Amino acid sequence: MTEMKLSWPKNYNEVPKEAFVREDIYAEEVKRIFHGTEWHPVAHESELPNAGDFKTYRLSGVPLLIGRDVEGVVRVFYNACSHRGNQLETAVMGNKTEFECPYHRWLFDSKGDLVGCPNPREFLPGFNKADYPLAQPRFDIFFGLVFVTLSSETEPLLAYLGDSQNTLRELLAGDGRLKLLGYQKVRYDTNWKSYTDNDGYHAPLLHQAFKMLNWQGGNGRQFTATKRGHICFESALSVATGPSVLKDKSLIEFKGQDPAVGSRIVSLFPTFVSTKHLDVINLRFATPIDAETVEVHYAYFAHQDDDEDMVRHRLRQSSNLLGPCGLISMEDASIFHRIHIGNHTPGSAIFQKGVHDPLKLESEFLQNDESGNLPRWEYYRSVMGFERATA
Amino acid sequence: MIETDMSLEAALNAVLLADADALDSKDMQRWLDNYADEENASYFCRSAENSEHGLALGFMYDDCRARLEDRVTFVNDIWVGTFQDYRTRHFVQMTSYHRADTATLEMRSNFSVFMTPKDSGITQVLAAGQYLDSVRQQKNGGLKLLSRRAELDTSVLPRYLVYPI
Repeated sequence: MTEMKLSWPKNYNEVPKEAFVREDIYAEEVKRIFHGTEWHPVAHESELPNAGDFKTYRLSGVPLLIGRDVEGVVRVFYNACSHRGNQLETAVMGNKTEFECPYHRWLFDSKGDLVGCPNPREFLPGFNKADYPLAQPRFDIFFGLVFVTLSSETEPLLAYLGDSQNTLRELLAGDGRLKLLGYQKVRYDTNWKSYTDNDGYHAPLLHQAFKMLNWQGGNGRQFTATKRGHICFESALSVATGPSVLKDKSLIEFKGQDPAVGSRIVSLFPTFVSTKHLDVINLRFATPIDAETVEVHYAYFAHQDDDEDMVRHRLRQSSNLLGPCGLISMEDASIFHRIHIGNHTPGSAIFQKGVHDPLKLESEFLQNDESGNLPRWEYYRSVMGFERATA
Repeated sequence: MIETDMSLEAALNAVLLADADALDSKDMQRWLDNYADEENASYFCRSAENSEHGLALGFMYDDCRARLEDRVTFVNDIWVGTFQDYRTRHFVQMTSYHRADTATLEMRSNFSVFMTPKDSGITQVLAAGQYLDSVRQQKNGGLKLLSRRAELDTSVLPRYLVYPI
Protein backbone atom coordinates (compact mmCIF):
# COMPACT_ATOMS: atom_id res chain seq x y z
CA MET A 1 0.00 0.00 0.00
CA THR A 2 1.38 3.41 -0.92
CA GLU A 3 1.95 5.74 1.98
CA MET A 4 -0.15 8.85 1.89
CA LYS A 5 1.38 11.81 3.58
CA LEU A 6 -0.96 14.10 5.42
CA SER A 7 0.01 15.87 8.58
CA TRP A 8 -2.88 15.70 10.98
CA PRO A 9 -2.96 18.38 13.70
CA LYS A 10 -2.40 17.59 17.33
CA ASN A 11 -5.72 19.08 18.41
CA TYR A 12 -8.81 16.89 18.07
CA ASN A 13 -10.89 19.89 16.98
CA GLU A 14 -8.85 20.56 13.82
CA VAL A 15 -9.33 18.78 10.48
CA PRO A 16 -6.85 19.49 7.68
CA LYS A 17 -8.71 20.86 4.66
CA GLU A 18 -6.50 18.87 2.30
CA ALA A 19 -8.38 15.74 3.39
CA PHE A 20 -11.45 17.04 1.55
CA VAL A 21 -9.85 17.81 -1.80
CA ARG A 22 -6.95 15.46 -2.55
CA GLU A 23 -7.63 12.88 -5.26
CA ASP A 24 -5.11 10.40 -3.84
CA ILE A 25 -6.89 10.51 -0.48
CA TYR A 26 -10.25 9.94 -2.15
CA ALA A 27 -8.96 6.86 -4.00
CA GLU A 28 -7.71 5.48 -0.71
CA GLU A 29 -11.06 6.24 1.01
CA VAL A 30 -12.86 4.14 -1.57
CA LYS A 31 -10.59 1.21 -0.73
CA ARG A 32 -10.41 1.60 3.04
CA ILE A 33 -13.90 2.90 3.80
CA PHE A 34 -16.42 2.24 1.02
CA HIS A 35 -14.98 -1.17 0.11
CA GLY A 36 -13.73 -1.65 3.66
CA THR A 37 -15.17 -2.78 6.97
CA GLU A 38 -18.23 -0.50 7.11
CA TRP A 39 -21.97 -1.12 6.74
CA HIS A 40 -23.82 1.11 4.25
CA PRO A 41 -27.61 1.58 4.24
CA VAL A 42 -28.82 1.15 0.65
CA ALA A 43 -32.61 0.81 0.93
CA HIS A 44 -35.52 0.37 3.29
CA GLU A 45 -37.65 -2.74 2.78
CA SER A 46 -40.75 -0.55 2.48
CA GLU A 47 -39.39 0.78 -0.82
CA LEU A 48 -40.14 -2.75 -2.10
CA PRO A 49 -43.56 -3.51 -0.59
CA ASN A 50 -44.64 -6.28 -3.00
CA ALA A 51 -43.17 -9.56 -4.19
CA GLY A 52 -41.06 -8.83 -7.28
CA ASP A 53 -40.40 -5.16 -6.38
CA PHE A 54 -36.81 -4.10 -6.89
CA LYS A 55 -34.58 -1.05 -6.80
CA THR A 56 -31.10 -0.53 -8.19
CA TYR A 57 -28.48 1.55 -6.44
CA ARG A 58 -24.79 2.29 -6.89
CA LEU A 59 -22.72 2.21 -3.72
CA SER A 60 -19.63 4.28 -4.53
CA GLY A 61 -19.84 2.97 -8.08
CA VAL A 62 -20.69 -0.66 -7.26
CA PRO A 63 -24.04 -1.54 -8.90
CA LEU A 64 -26.53 -3.27 -6.59
CA LEU A 65 -29.90 -4.88 -7.24
CA ILE A 66 -32.11 -4.99 -4.16
CA GLY A 67 -35.22 -7.09 -4.68
CA ARG A 68 -38.10 -8.77 -2.89
CA ASP A 69 -38.38 -12.34 -4.17
CA VAL A 70 -41.62 -14.14 -5.02
CA GLU A 71 -41.85 -15.40 -1.44
CA GLY A 72 -41.49 -11.89 -0.02
CA VAL A 73 -37.88 -12.11 1.16
CA VAL A 74 -35.65 -9.09 0.52
CA ARG A 75 -32.25 -9.90 -0.99
CA VAL A 76 -29.31 -7.90 -2.28
CA PHE A 77 -27.32 -8.87 -5.39
CA TYR A 78 -24.58 -7.31 -7.42
CA ASN A 79 -26.37 -5.86 -10.43
CA ALA A 80 -24.19 -7.70 -12.94
CA CYS A 81 -24.75 -10.87 -14.94
CA SER A 82 -22.83 -13.89 -13.60
CA HIS A 83 -21.61 -14.59 -17.16
CA ARG A 84 -19.69 -11.61 -18.58
CA GLY A 85 -20.61 -9.05 -15.93
CA ASN A 86 -23.04 -6.99 -18.01
CA GLN A 87 -25.24 -4.63 -15.94
CA LEU A 88 -28.33 -6.79 -15.45
CA GLU A 89 -31.14 -4.33 -14.66
CA THR A 90 -31.21 -0.74 -15.92
CA ALA A 91 -34.44 0.52 -14.30
CA VAL A 92 -34.11 2.51 -11.08
CA MET A 93 -37.10 0.64 -9.65
CA GLY A 94 -39.86 -1.63 -10.83
CA ASN A 95 -41.45 -5.05 -10.43
CA LYS A 96 -40.11 -8.23 -12.05
CA THR A 97 -39.99 -11.84 -11.03
CA GLU A 98 -37.24 -12.64 -13.53
CA PHE A 99 -34.25 -10.67 -14.75
CA GLU A 100 -32.91 -11.34 -18.22
CA CYS A 101 -29.51 -10.18 -19.39
CA PRO A 102 -29.98 -9.06 -23.02
CA TYR A 103 -26.36 -9.79 -23.95
CA HIS A 104 -26.56 -13.63 -24.07
CA ARG A 105 -30.10 -14.07 -22.70
CA TRP A 106 -29.14 -15.50 -19.33
CA LEU A 107 -32.25 -15.50 -17.16
CA PHE A 108 -32.30 -15.22 -13.35
CA ASP A 109 -35.23 -15.70 -10.98
CA SER A 110 -36.03 -13.40 -8.06
CA LYS A 111 -33.83 -15.50 -5.77
CA GLY A 112 -30.86 -14.88 -8.04
CA ASP A 113 -30.69 -18.42 -9.44
CA LEU A 114 -29.79 -18.89 -13.08
CA VAL A 115 -32.87 -20.56 -14.57
CA GLY A 116 -32.13 -20.32 -18.27
CA CYS A 117 -29.34 -19.76 -20.77
CA PRO A 118 -29.52 -20.59 -24.49
CA ASN A 119 -27.24 -23.22 -26.05
CA PRO A 120 -25.41 -24.46 -22.92
CA ARG A 121 -24.06 -27.45 -24.93
CA GLU A 122 -21.59 -25.03 -26.52
CA PHE A 123 -20.25 -23.98 -23.08
CA LEU A 124 -17.39 -25.48 -21.07
CA PRO A 125 -17.75 -29.23 -20.54
CA GLY A 126 -19.58 -29.87 -17.28
CA PHE A 127 -21.27 -26.45 -17.28
CA ASN A 128 -23.92 -26.40 -14.56
CA LYS A 129 -26.47 -23.59 -14.15
CA ALA A 130 -26.42 -24.10 -10.38
CA ASP A 131 -22.83 -22.76 -10.33
CA TYR A 132 -23.90 -19.38 -11.76
CA PRO A 133 -26.34 -17.57 -9.46
CA LEU A 134 -26.11 -13.78 -9.18
CA ALA A 135 -23.29 -12.88 -6.81
CA GLN A 136 -24.26 -11.24 -3.55
CA PRO A 137 -22.53 -8.84 -1.18
CA ARG A 138 -22.99 -9.38 2.57
CA PHE A 139 -26.16 -7.68 3.73
CA ASP A 140 -28.28 -7.45 6.87
CA ILE A 141 -31.50 -5.70 7.86
CA PHE A 142 -32.37 -3.55 10.90
CA PHE A 143 -36.07 -2.66 11.28
CA GLY A 144 -36.39 -2.81 7.51
CA LEU A 145 -33.25 -0.77 6.83
CA VAL A 146 -31.07 -2.78 4.43
CA PHE A 147 -27.32 -2.51 4.99
CA VAL A 148 -24.56 -3.77 2.70
CA THR A 149 -20.89 -4.28 3.43
CA LEU A 150 -18.30 -5.10 0.79
CA SER A 151 -15.90 -6.68 3.28
CA SER A 152 -16.12 -10.12 4.86
CA GLU A 153 -14.38 -8.80 7.97
CA THR A 154 -16.94 -6.18 9.01
CA GLU A 155 -18.32 -6.84 12.49
CA PRO A 156 -22.00 -7.93 12.77
CA LEU A 157 -24.51 -5.14 12.05
CA LEU A 158 -25.87 -4.85 15.59
CA ALA A 159 -22.36 -4.40 16.99
CA TYR A 160 -21.65 -1.88 14.25
CA LEU A 161 -24.71 0.17 15.24
CA GLY A 162 -24.00 -0.17 18.97
CA ASP A 163 -25.75 2.46 21.08
CA SER A 164 -27.26 4.14 18.02
CA GLN A 165 -29.74 1.23 17.73
CA ASN A 166 -32.46 2.66 19.93
CA THR A 167 -32.45 6.13 18.37
CA LEU A 168 -32.48 4.58 14.90
CA ARG A 169 -35.38 2.29 15.83
CA GLU A 170 -37.39 5.26 17.15
CA LEU A 171 -36.59 7.18 13.98
CA LEU A 172 -37.94 4.24 11.95
CA ALA A 173 -41.27 4.82 13.75
CA GLY A 174 -40.46 2.24 16.44
CA ASP A 175 -41.25 -0.80 14.34
CA GLY A 176 -39.84 -0.14 10.87
CA ARG A 177 -43.28 -0.59 9.27
CA LEU A 178 -42.97 2.28 6.83
CA LYS A 179 -44.68 3.21 3.58
CA LEU A 180 -42.74 4.96 0.81
CA LEU A 181 -43.91 8.44 -0.23
CA GLY A 182 -41.22 9.20 -2.80
CA TYR A 183 -37.76 10.59 -3.48
CA GLN A 184 -35.88 13.82 -3.89
CA LYS A 185 -32.53 13.08 -5.56
CA VAL A 186 -29.71 15.53 -5.96
CA ARG A 187 -25.98 15.79 -6.60
CA TYR A 188 -24.01 18.22 -4.50
CA ASP A 189 -20.71 19.73 -5.64
CA THR A 190 -18.93 18.74 -2.49
CA ASN A 191 -16.71 16.06 -1.03
CA TRP A 192 -18.71 13.34 0.76
CA LYS A 193 -17.14 14.27 4.10
CA SER A 194 -18.26 17.90 3.79
CA TYR A 195 -21.75 16.60 3.19
CA THR A 196 -21.83 14.33 6.25
CA ASP A 197 -20.03 16.90 8.38
CA ASN A 198 -22.73 19.48 7.74
CA ASP A 199 -25.92 17.50 7.21
CA GLY A 200 -27.67 16.51 10.39
CA TYR A 201 -25.61 18.96 12.42
CA HIS A 202 -27.66 22.12 12.52
CA ALA A 203 -26.22 25.57 12.61
CA PRO A 204 -29.14 27.50 14.08
CA LEU A 205 -27.68 30.84 13.03
CA LEU A 206 -27.84 29.75 9.38
CA HIS A 207 -31.54 29.09 9.45
CA GLN A 208 -33.47 32.31 9.18
CA ALA A 209 -36.73 30.34 9.32
CA PHE A 210 -36.09 29.32 12.93
CA LYS A 211 -35.74 32.94 13.93
CA MET A 212 -38.69 34.18 11.90
CA LEU A 213 -40.97 31.51 13.31
CA ASN A 214 -39.51 31.83 16.83
CA TRP A 215 -38.75 28.15 16.61
CA GLN A 216 -36.31 27.00 19.26
CA GLY A 217 -34.94 23.48 19.41
CA GLY A 218 -36.64 21.21 21.93
CA ASN A 219 -34.71 19.90 24.91
CA GLY A 220 -32.68 16.86 24.14
CA ARG A 221 -29.31 15.20 23.96
CA GLN A 222 -26.66 14.57 21.36
CA PHE A 223 -24.29 11.66 21.81
CA THR A 224 -21.95 9.50 19.81
CA ALA A 225 -22.07 5.72 19.55
CA THR A 226 -19.26 3.21 18.94
CA LYS A 227 -15.66 3.96 18.02
CA ARG A 228 -16.93 5.17 14.63
CA GLY A 229 -18.61 8.17 16.20
CA HIS A 230 -22.12 7.60 14.83
CA ILE A 231 -24.06 10.69 15.88
CA CYS A 232 -27.49 10.52 17.54
CA PHE A 233 -29.79 13.39 18.43
CA GLU A 234 -32.85 12.80 20.59
CA SER A 235 -35.05 15.82 21.21
CA ALA A 236 -38.57 16.38 22.38
CA LEU A 237 -40.62 18.19 19.82
CA SER A 238 -40.71 21.94 19.81
CA VAL A 239 -43.24 23.97 17.93
CA ALA A 240 -42.96 27.45 16.57
CA THR A 241 -44.49 29.95 18.96
CA GLY A 242 -44.12 33.28 17.21
CA PRO A 243 -46.64 34.93 14.91
CA SER A 244 -46.31 32.85 11.79
CA VAL A 245 -45.08 34.35 8.56
CA LEU A 246 -46.62 31.31 6.87
CA LYS A 247 -50.16 31.36 5.51
CA ASP A 248 -50.30 27.58 5.46
CA LYS A 249 -49.27 26.58 8.97
CA SER A 250 -49.68 22.85 8.30
CA LEU A 251 -46.10 22.89 6.99
CA ILE A 252 -44.78 23.12 10.55
CA GLU A 253 -47.61 21.38 12.37
CA PHE A 254 -47.13 18.17 14.40
CA LYS A 255 -49.96 15.64 14.12
CA GLY A 256 -48.11 12.62 15.46
CA GLN A 257 -48.85 10.78 18.67
CA ASP A 258 -45.89 11.32 20.94
CA PRO A 259 -44.03 14.66 21.13
CA ALA A 260 -41.27 12.96 23.15
CA VAL A 261 -40.11 11.24 19.95
CA GLY A 262 -40.78 14.33 17.86
CA SER A 263 -37.23 14.82 16.71
CA ARG A 264 -34.50 12.27 15.99
CA ILE A 265 -31.36 12.34 13.88
CA VAL A 266 -29.01 9.42 13.33
CA SER A 267 -25.88 9.97 11.29
CA LEU A 268 -23.90 6.78 10.69
CA PHE A 269 -20.32 6.66 9.51
CA PRO A 270 -19.50 7.12 6.67
CA THR A 271 -22.33 8.87 4.78
CA PHE A 272 -25.80 7.98 6.07
CA VAL A 273 -28.03 10.67 7.58
CA SER A 274 -31.57 10.00 8.69
CA THR A 275 -34.07 12.19 10.44
CA LYS A 276 -37.52 12.23 11.91
CA HIS A 277 -38.71 15.78 12.42
CA LEU A 278 -42.32 16.81 13.06
CA ASP A 279 -44.12 14.23 10.90
CA VAL A 280 -41.35 13.80 8.34
CA ILE A 281 -39.50 10.47 8.26
CA ASN A 282 -36.51 10.86 5.96
CA LEU A 283 -33.70 8.44 5.11
CA ARG A 284 -30.83 9.91 3.05
CA PHE A 285 -28.90 7.35 1.02
CA ALA A 286 -25.70 9.13 0.08
CA THR A 287 -22.73 7.93 -1.92
CA PRO A 288 -19.63 9.60 -3.35
CA ILE A 289 -19.44 9.96 -7.13
CA ASP A 290 -15.91 11.36 -7.10
CA ALA A 291 -13.77 13.49 -4.79
CA GLU A 292 -15.86 16.57 -5.52
CA THR A 293 -19.37 15.15 -5.88
CA VAL A 294 -21.79 13.33 -3.62
CA GLU A 295 -25.21 12.02 -4.69
CA VAL A 296 -27.99 11.97 -2.11
CA HIS A 297 -31.32 10.18 -2.45
CA TYR A 298 -33.73 11.64 0.11
CA ALA A 299 -36.41 8.95 0.62
CA TYR A 300 -39.53 9.95 2.57
CA PHE A 301 -41.96 7.70 4.39
CA ALA A 302 -45.31 7.46 6.10
CA HIS A 303 -46.22 4.71 8.58
CA GLN A 304 -48.27 1.69 7.49
CA ASP A 305 -50.92 2.43 10.15
CA ASP A 306 -51.44 6.05 9.08
CA ASP A 307 -54.94 6.97 7.95
CA GLU A 308 -55.43 8.78 4.67
CA ASP A 309 -55.30 12.26 6.28
CA MET A 310 -52.02 11.51 7.99
CA VAL A 311 -50.43 10.19 4.78
CA ARG A 312 -51.51 13.37 3.02
CA HIS A 313 -50.15 15.53 5.83
CA ARG A 314 -46.79 13.74 5.72
CA LEU A 315 -46.66 14.09 1.93
CA ARG A 316 -47.32 17.83 2.10
CA GLN A 317 -44.87 18.36 4.96
CA SER A 318 -42.13 16.10 3.55
CA SER A 319 -42.11 17.75 0.13
CA ASN A 320 -41.65 21.29 1.41
CA LEU A 321 -39.83 21.15 4.76
CA LEU A 322 -36.54 19.25 4.41
CA GLY A 323 -34.41 18.22 1.46
CA PRO A 324 -32.70 20.20 -1.30
CA CYS A 325 -35.56 22.72 -1.62
CA GLY A 326 -37.03 22.59 1.89
CA LEU A 327 -37.99 25.59 3.96
CA ILE A 328 -35.48 24.77 6.71
CA SER A 329 -32.80 22.95 4.72
CA MET A 330 -32.19 24.61 1.37
CA GLU A 331 -29.48 26.73 3.04
CA ASP A 332 -27.68 23.56 4.18
CA ALA A 333 -27.40 22.49 0.56
CA SER A 334 -25.76 25.77 -0.34
CA ILE A 335 -23.34 25.46 2.58
CA PHE A 336 -22.17 22.04 1.28
CA HIS A 337 -21.01 23.74 -1.92
CA ARG A 338 -19.41 26.71 -0.23
CA ILE A 339 -17.53 24.63 2.33
CA HIS A 340 -16.06 22.59 -0.49
CA ILE A 341 -14.82 25.71 -2.29
CA GLY A 342 -13.37 27.00 0.98
CA ASN A 343 -11.61 23.69 1.59
CA HIS A 344 -9.27 24.44 -1.32
CA THR A 345 -7.39 26.81 1.00
CA PRO A 346 -4.48 25.96 3.32
CA GLY A 347 -4.88 25.06 6.96
CA SER A 348 -7.51 23.30 8.99
CA ALA A 349 -11.24 23.50 9.56
CA ILE A 350 -11.54 24.34 13.24
CA PHE A 351 -14.43 23.16 15.40
CA GLN A 352 -15.29 25.49 18.30
CA LYS A 353 -18.74 25.11 19.76
CA GLY A 354 -18.85 22.57 22.56
CA VAL A 355 -15.09 21.93 22.60
CA HIS A 356 -13.87 22.09 26.19
CA ASP A 357 -10.38 20.70 25.76
CA PRO A 358 -8.86 20.30 22.27
CA LEU A 359 -6.78 17.36 23.51
CA LYS A 360 -9.76 15.27 24.64
CA LEU A 361 -12.66 13.55 22.91
CA GLU A 362 -16.08 13.51 24.55
CA SER A 363 -19.18 11.49 23.74
CA GLU A 364 -22.03 13.60 25.17
CA PHE A 365 -22.82 16.98 23.67
CA LEU A 366 -25.31 19.80 23.69
CA GLN A 367 -27.76 19.99 20.86
CA ASN A 368 -25.99 22.35 18.49
CA ASP A 369 -22.41 21.53 19.46
CA GLU A 370 -19.97 21.18 16.58
CA SER A 371 -17.88 18.91 18.78
CA GLY A 372 -20.30 16.00 18.16
CA ASN A 373 -18.52 15.40 14.85
CA LEU A 374 -15.08 14.96 16.41
CA PRO A 375 -15.21 11.26 17.45
CA ARG A 376 -16.10 10.43 13.84
CA TRP A 377 -13.11 12.42 12.61
CA GLU A 378 -10.83 10.56 14.99
CA TYR A 379 -12.13 7.25 13.60
CA TYR A 380 -11.66 8.49 10.03
CA ARG A 381 -8.08 9.52 10.82
CA SER A 382 -7.27 6.11 12.28
CA VAL A 383 -8.83 4.14 9.38
CA MET A 384 -6.91 6.25 6.89
CA GLY A 385 -3.67 5.77 8.79
CA PHE A 386 -2.88 9.47 9.15
CA GLU A 387 -0.58 10.19 12.06
CA ARG A 388 -1.61 12.79 14.57
CA ALA A 389 1.13 15.30 15.36
CA THR A 390 2.48 15.08 18.87
CA ALA A 391 3.36 18.74 19.17
CA MET B 1 -62.43 19.23 -28.82
CA ILE B 2 -59.43 20.79 -30.53
CA GLU B 3 -59.59 24.53 -30.80
CA THR B 4 -58.01 26.12 -33.79
CA ASP B 5 -58.58 29.66 -32.60
CA MET B 6 -55.26 31.43 -33.19
CA SER B 7 -55.99 34.12 -30.62
CA LEU B 8 -56.62 31.47 -27.95
CA GLU B 9 -53.34 29.80 -28.78
CA ALA B 10 -51.57 33.14 -28.61
CA ALA B 11 -53.15 33.83 -25.22
CA LEU B 12 -52.01 30.43 -23.89
CA ASN B 13 -48.50 31.14 -25.14
CA ALA B 14 -48.60 34.45 -23.33
CA VAL B 15 -49.38 32.64 -20.04
CA LEU B 16 -46.47 30.28 -20.67
CA LEU B 17 -44.04 33.09 -21.42
CA ALA B 18 -45.25 35.26 -18.55
CA ASP B 19 -44.31 32.50 -16.10
CA ALA B 20 -40.90 31.95 -17.73
CA ASP B 21 -40.18 35.66 -17.70
CA ALA B 22 -41.25 36.11 -14.07
CA LEU B 23 -39.04 33.21 -12.96
CA ASP B 24 -36.01 34.30 -14.99
CA SER B 25 -36.46 37.81 -13.55
CA LYS B 26 -36.74 36.30 -10.03
CA ASP B 27 -39.90 38.34 -9.65
CA MET B 28 -41.87 36.07 -7.33
CA GLN B 29 -44.80 38.45 -7.03
CA ARG B 30 -45.23 38.40 -10.81
CA TRP B 31 -44.89 34.59 -10.70
CA LEU B 32 -47.73 34.47 -8.17
CA ASP B 33 -49.86 36.95 -10.15
CA ASN B 34 -49.78 34.57 -13.11
CA TYR B 35 -51.88 32.12 -11.04
CA ALA B 36 -55.67 32.36 -10.75
CA ASP B 37 -56.93 33.98 -7.56
CA GLU B 38 -58.60 30.77 -6.41
CA GLU B 39 -58.07 28.85 -3.19
CA ASN B 40 -57.01 25.67 -4.99
CA ALA B 41 -54.52 27.32 -7.32
CA SER B 42 -51.47 25.02 -7.21
CA TYR B 43 -47.90 24.39 -8.30
CA PHE B 44 -46.12 21.03 -8.11
CA CYS B 45 -42.56 20.23 -9.07
CA ARG B 46 -41.55 16.59 -9.00
CA SER B 47 -39.58 14.00 -10.87
CA ALA B 48 -41.37 12.06 -13.59
CA GLU B 49 -39.71 9.04 -11.94
CA ASN B 50 -41.81 9.57 -8.80
CA SER B 51 -44.99 10.14 -10.82
CA GLU B 52 -44.50 7.07 -12.97
CA HIS B 53 -44.21 4.93 -9.84
CA GLY B 54 -47.30 6.40 -8.22
CA LEU B 55 -45.24 8.39 -5.71
CA ALA B 56 -46.78 11.81 -5.12
CA LEU B 57 -43.86 13.36 -3.24
CA GLY B 58 -42.32 16.38 -4.93
CA PHE B 59 -39.47 18.87 -4.74
CA MET B 60 -42.20 21.46 -4.24
CA TYR B 61 -45.77 20.68 -3.28
CA ASP B 62 -47.82 23.87 -3.26
CA ASP B 63 -51.33 22.49 -3.46
CA CYS B 64 -53.22 25.66 -2.47
CA ARG B 65 -53.05 29.40 -2.95
CA ALA B 66 -51.73 29.85 0.62
CA ARG B 67 -48.70 27.71 -0.21
CA LEU B 68 -48.05 29.65 -3.42
CA GLU B 69 -48.00 32.81 -1.31
CA ASP B 70 -45.68 31.12 1.20
CA ARG B 71 -43.36 30.17 -1.68
CA VAL B 72 -42.98 33.90 -2.39
CA THR B 73 -42.14 34.46 1.30
CA PHE B 74 -39.51 31.66 1.26
CA VAL B 75 -37.65 33.26 -1.64
CA ASN B 76 -38.17 36.94 -0.89
CA ASP B 77 -37.81 36.91 2.90
CA ILE B 78 -36.71 33.67 4.54
CA TRP B 79 -33.84 32.50 2.33
CA VAL B 80 -32.34 35.89 1.49
CA GLY B 81 -28.56 35.91 1.76
CA THR B 82 -28.12 32.23 2.60
CA PHE B 83 -27.40 30.64 -0.79
CA GLN B 84 -25.20 30.96 -3.88
CA ASP B 85 -27.51 32.73 -6.28
CA TYR B 86 -27.90 31.59 -9.87
CA ARG B 87 -29.50 32.92 -13.03
CA THR B 88 -31.99 30.80 -14.94
CA ARG B 89 -33.27 30.80 -18.51
CA HIS B 90 -36.48 28.91 -19.19
CA PHE B 91 -37.12 27.69 -22.74
CA VAL B 92 -40.73 26.63 -23.17
CA GLN B 93 -42.70 25.23 -26.04
CA MET B 94 -46.35 24.30 -26.05
CA THR B 95 -46.90 20.82 -27.47
CA SER B 96 -50.71 20.54 -27.19
CA TYR B 97 -53.80 22.03 -25.64
CA HIS B 98 -57.49 21.33 -25.43
CA ARG B 99 -60.55 22.79 -23.79
CA ALA B 100 -61.63 20.87 -20.66
CA ASP B 101 -64.77 22.91 -19.95
CA THR B 102 -66.12 26.38 -20.68
CA ALA B 103 -63.73 28.04 -18.21
CA THR B 104 -60.74 25.68 -18.27
CA LEU B 105 -58.08 24.66 -20.78
CA GLU B 106 -55.48 21.93 -20.46
CA MET B 107 -52.06 22.66 -21.89
CA ARG B 108 -48.90 20.58 -22.21
CA SER B 109 -45.49 22.13 -22.85
CA ASN B 110 -41.85 21.10 -22.90
CA PHE B 111 -39.30 23.03 -20.89
CA SER B 112 -35.59 23.18 -20.43
CA VAL B 113 -33.98 25.39 -17.83
CA PHE B 114 -30.37 26.52 -17.96
CA MET B 115 -28.71 27.78 -14.83
CA THR B 116 -25.63 29.89 -14.35
CA PRO B 117 -24.36 30.18 -10.79
CA LYS B 118 -23.16 33.71 -10.19
CA ASP B 119 -19.89 32.60 -8.59
CA SER B 120 -18.74 30.04 -11.18
CA GLY B 121 -20.28 31.65 -14.27
CA ILE B 122 -20.50 28.20 -15.86
CA THR B 123 -23.81 27.47 -17.57
CA GLN B 124 -25.36 24.03 -17.27
CA VAL B 125 -28.76 22.40 -17.62
CA LEU B 126 -30.75 22.60 -14.39
CA ALA B 127 -33.71 20.51 -15.53
CA ALA B 128 -35.72 19.35 -18.52
CA GLY B 129 -39.25 18.06 -18.58
CA GLN B 130 -42.82 19.06 -19.25
CA TYR B 131 -45.43 21.32 -17.76
CA LEU B 132 -48.94 19.92 -17.37
CA ASP B 133 -51.10 23.00 -16.89
CA SER B 134 -54.73 23.76 -16.22
CA VAL B 135 -55.47 27.27 -17.38
CA ARG B 136 -58.45 29.27 -16.16
CA GLN B 137 -60.29 31.66 -18.39
CA GLN B 138 -61.18 34.70 -16.25
CA LYS B 139 -64.49 36.55 -16.49
CA ASN B 140 -62.71 39.33 -18.39
CA GLY B 141 -61.45 36.75 -20.89
CA GLY B 142 -57.84 36.79 -19.60
CA LEU B 143 -56.01 33.53 -18.84
CA LYS B 144 -54.27 32.49 -15.59
CA LEU B 145 -52.70 29.25 -14.40
CA LEU B 146 -55.02 27.27 -12.16
CA SER B 147 -52.56 24.47 -11.62
CA ARG B 148 -49.14 23.58 -12.94
CA ARG B 149 -47.30 20.31 -12.62
CA ALA B 150 -43.65 20.58 -13.58
CA GLU B 151 -42.74 16.95 -14.30
CA LEU B 152 -38.96 16.68 -14.37
CA ASP B 153 -37.18 14.19 -16.63
CA THR B 154 -34.24 15.20 -14.47
CA SER B 155 -34.71 12.82 -11.55
CA VAL B 156 -31.34 13.74 -10.04
CA LEU B 157 -31.00 17.51 -9.76
CA PRO B 158 -27.53 19.03 -10.27
CA ARG B 159 -28.09 21.26 -7.22
CA TYR B 160 -30.66 22.47 -4.72
CA LEU B 161 -33.59 24.56 -5.95
CA VAL B 162 -34.35 28.05 -4.70
CA TYR B 163 -36.83 29.17 -7.35
CA PRO B 164 -39.69 27.13 -8.80
CA ILE B 165 -38.95 25.49 -12.14
